[in-house]
Amino acid sequence: MRPTEVFAPAEPPADGQSARKNQLAVTLRVNGESVALQIDPRTTLLDCLRETMRLTGTKKGCDHGQCGACTVHVNGRRVNSCLTFAVMHQGDDITTIEGLGRPGSLHPVQAAFLEHDAYQCGYCTPGQIMSAAALLEEPCGATDADVKEAMSGNICRCGAYPNIVSAIQDVRSER
Amino acid sequence: MTVSPAGSSVPRIEGPLKVSGIATYTSDFNFPGLLYAVPVCATIGSGTIAGLDTSVAGSMPGVQAVYHRANIGRIYRSAPDEGLGTHLDERRPPFEDDVIRYYGQYVAAAVADTYEQAIAAANAVKVTYDAKEPDVRDQLEPEGQPNLDGERGDPDAAFDSAPVKIDQTYSTPVETHNPIELHASVAVWDGQDFTLYETTQGVVNHRDVAAEMLGVPKERVRVISRFLGSGFGGKLFPWPHSFIAAAAARDLNRPVKLVVSRDMMFQNVGHRPRTQQRIRLGAGSDGKLVALMHDSLNHTSILDDYQENCSEATPYSYSTPNFRATSGLARRNVGTPTSMRGPGAVPGLYALESAMDELAIALGIDPVELRLRNEPNKDEGLDLPFSSRHLVECLAVGAKRFGWSGRDPRVGSMRKNGLILGWGVAGCSWIAERFAAQVAVDLRDDGSARVATATQDIGTGTYTVLANVVSEKTGIPANKIEVVLGDTNLPPGPISGGSMVTASVIPAVSQAIESAQQRILMAAIETEGTPFYGLEADALAFSGGIVHRKNEGPERGMAFEKILAKAKARSTSGLGKAEATFGSEDRKFSQHSFGAQFAEVTWQPEIARLRVSRVVTVIDAGRIINPKPARNQIEGSVVMGVGMALLEATEYDARFGAPINNNLADYMVATNADAPQIEVTFLDYPDRVLNDMGARGVGEIGLAGIAAAITAAVYHATGVRVRNLPVRLEELLA
Ligand code: FES
Ligand code: FES
Repeated sequence: MRPTEVFAPAEPPADGQSARKNQLAVTLRVNGESVALQIDPRTTLLDCLRETMRLTGTKKGCDHGQCGACTVHVNGRRVNSCLTFAVMHQGDDITTIEGLGRPGSLHPVQAAFLEHDAYQCGYCTPGQIMSAAALLEEPCGATDADVKEAMSGNICRCGAYPNIVSAIQDVRSER
Repeated sequence: MTVSPAGSSVPRIEGPLKVSGIATYTSDFNFPGLLYAVPVCATIGSGTIAGLDTSVAGSMPGVQAVYHRANIGRIYRSAPDEGLGTHLDERRPPFEDDVIRYYGQYVAAAVADTYEQAIAAANAVKVTYDAKEPDVRDQLEPEGQPNLDGERGDPDAAFDSAPVKIDQTYSTPVETHNPIELHASVAVWDGQDFTLYETTQGVVNHRDVAAEMLGVPKERVRVISRFLGSGFGGKLFPWPHSFIAAAAARDLNRPVKLVVSRDMMFQNVGHRPRTQQRIRLGAGSDGKLVALMHDSLNHTSILDDYQENCSEATPYSYSTPNFRATSGLARRNVGTPTSMRGPGAVPGLYALESAMDELAIALGIDPVELRLRNEPNKDEGLDLPFSSRHLVECLAVGAKRFGWSGRDPRVGSMRKNGLILGWGVAGCSWIAERFAAQVAVDLRDDGSARVATATQDIGTGTYTVLANVVSEKTGIPANKIEVVLGDTNLPPGPISGGSMVTASVIPAVSQAIESAQQRILMAAIETEGTPFYGLEADALAFSGGIVHRKNEGPERGMAFEKILAKAKARSTSGLGKAEATFGSEDRKFSQHSFGAQFAEVTWQPEIARLRVSRVVTVIDAGRIINPKPARNQIEGSVVMGVGMALLEATEYDARFGAPINNNLADYMVATNADAPQIEVTFLDYPDRVLNDMGARGVGEIGLAGIAAAITAAVYHATGVRVRNLPVRLEELLA
């Protein structure tokens, strides 16, 4: 049998409404604003932010909770947004990098990352910054080793770790 | 931002965009009507497709198409080219035939309205296979006769009669680049032209390859990569997913986004191949080398011949009258390997520098001293003088900063806070070359400048370094310099590979500035109302942005923007072009960067805990344009080197050929807690053979030698010599 003979042609979609079928209603509070959405229950919070709400500052590096690039704050705590579904966050307060600070009004952690060159490619950076901003409120010890441990859920393949630690310690020393 | 002459440490100009999530990476692009493509990957490592049933997938909600060999349309091969021109490593277009040659090879792709729908459809494609047993063995044997890469003297005879010999084989595993940004393509087709947003370290090459493979003229393809979430070589050349996205966009007449998943990144977008290297060193009892042989093998894929070139740095590293290097390939059922940070030299120097450490121990000579005794006074491989080589000073400065004189060479003899310390050293080196580059510089009537070239910033700091260079050469503050990169509409720039972008663009920038300034001088003499009207252009000079008479100082001159305003011109634009040195046969110097790596490990045998605690790196890379990103590059390389030495290896399942640790929990890269204390020193010897500023590049050299320094330190702490990376705790406990 020649393999080509078993290739079945792709069927056209049944109708143009498919994207709206099987969706659930959810209201998220993102960066202080309430947003009512109709969303596929399979959509992760990460994909909801990036693809539906076009808040692309939050990054995808693994989709498995292994890299930290997708870190956002949910009700003030850092969360890997790839590991949770958007529909699970009805009424939750979500902060992304866009809500933390903008050029001209940077959050102290953002300003410290800039000052300390705590990145190279910048791709892990929104996640690093969201983790670091949450860490400021966590019971983290004072030493560099404590910070390194608490920041080890955020991989930086560029290896900007020394500068990430000094940026965070700089902010902590001023509080 | 303040004025930033080259040489000062200033924040990156693109930094505010990166820390606020505004910087736009490939998968951040979104367009009206965007569709999502998800590939279907083969679940065997060798065999053929027996059946492919898309009937269920094709009728699922939101699905627009399911592509495979029979319906993707024609994707051509890109014909071979010289050197790195029009290059890709995996030459077979996606879906070209029904033969499966590696686990994960794309066999189909589902395209749907949403990402969730596309994943569901891809999972619903039913593929059956006639499977064969894949060959993914670690042990490598050469296919046919090895290549002779270099030879001098009579190495066999000299080795045989040498009083002291080392003959050992070292291997390095498959390493996966794993940039945190996933590879991605967003393809837009407007009925005539493609605009491809790509995760690429080379927009121009990607454009050239894509045009040939899609069968359209070059000017019908524009490739954009404004920000890249790093690549480490994995994004140098195009991979098959890009052509799936482009072909789908053309067929459906809708924009298509395809993001490669993390598990696919272990099979579909290249890796550093496994290497196996036999090193033979023969020396006199004085430690002088009399013979050096480096025979290396690397695995490659079934269809492509990827050469790792492990002995690249070997011919010029040390002085020896008798030398030979050979190389060979072993074919395996794996995806095609590609360049990974410091290709060739990084695995090669792990082997060579490890052997040098073993020789030092066999001779009872300090390993720093052994290297000094074998320092060459020219490149004995090319028989050319070095443009600038300061390895001896790197070793001396490093030894001092590290405290090497306090070393007790006896195994396990040194302790600190109850931990056993191990100290190791290695040399490192990397090529210093230039690719061809064109750069446009516009000087504008508001006193600002714009510099544009189709190279890209992959995280190494190219945006900032270009601003620094233009600032130094024009006197315009860096905050008034706009840098535009990552777009094939700009003058063609180099790939971001080989640590060559900085060195490559400098001569073109100089030329572009000269020509833009020359046009301002012409405007000055031809425009009524300037103090220079009617003079000869020869009588004028440009200093720090001021036009003035040569026989007067700039304080009596006129700012260039005023001249432009008087001439009613918005700007003058100059184009600079510089030739490549890379691949050139006609050379008068051997051009390389050098460095020394000193590593300290701590070892707790009671709980089998091995840590890299401290690294001192000294780098001789010419003039450093901006120390901030440069230091960051070296520190990042050292961090990656910790991973290379202790953590990283892609493991294949012998039954299916699957990379089984295909995720960031099982393929470990160094985390923040793994990073040692790192001290970086740059020597400052501008290499003016390479360009007028004497700058080389620093993206790769920091990863060379580090694994050898760490394994030497591990030997010093434990007495176990690890010749098969990475260091595994079980070996230390044996
Ligand atoms: S993308 Fe969520 S942890 Fe990696
Ligand atoms: S800056 Fe590139 S991964 Fe962290």
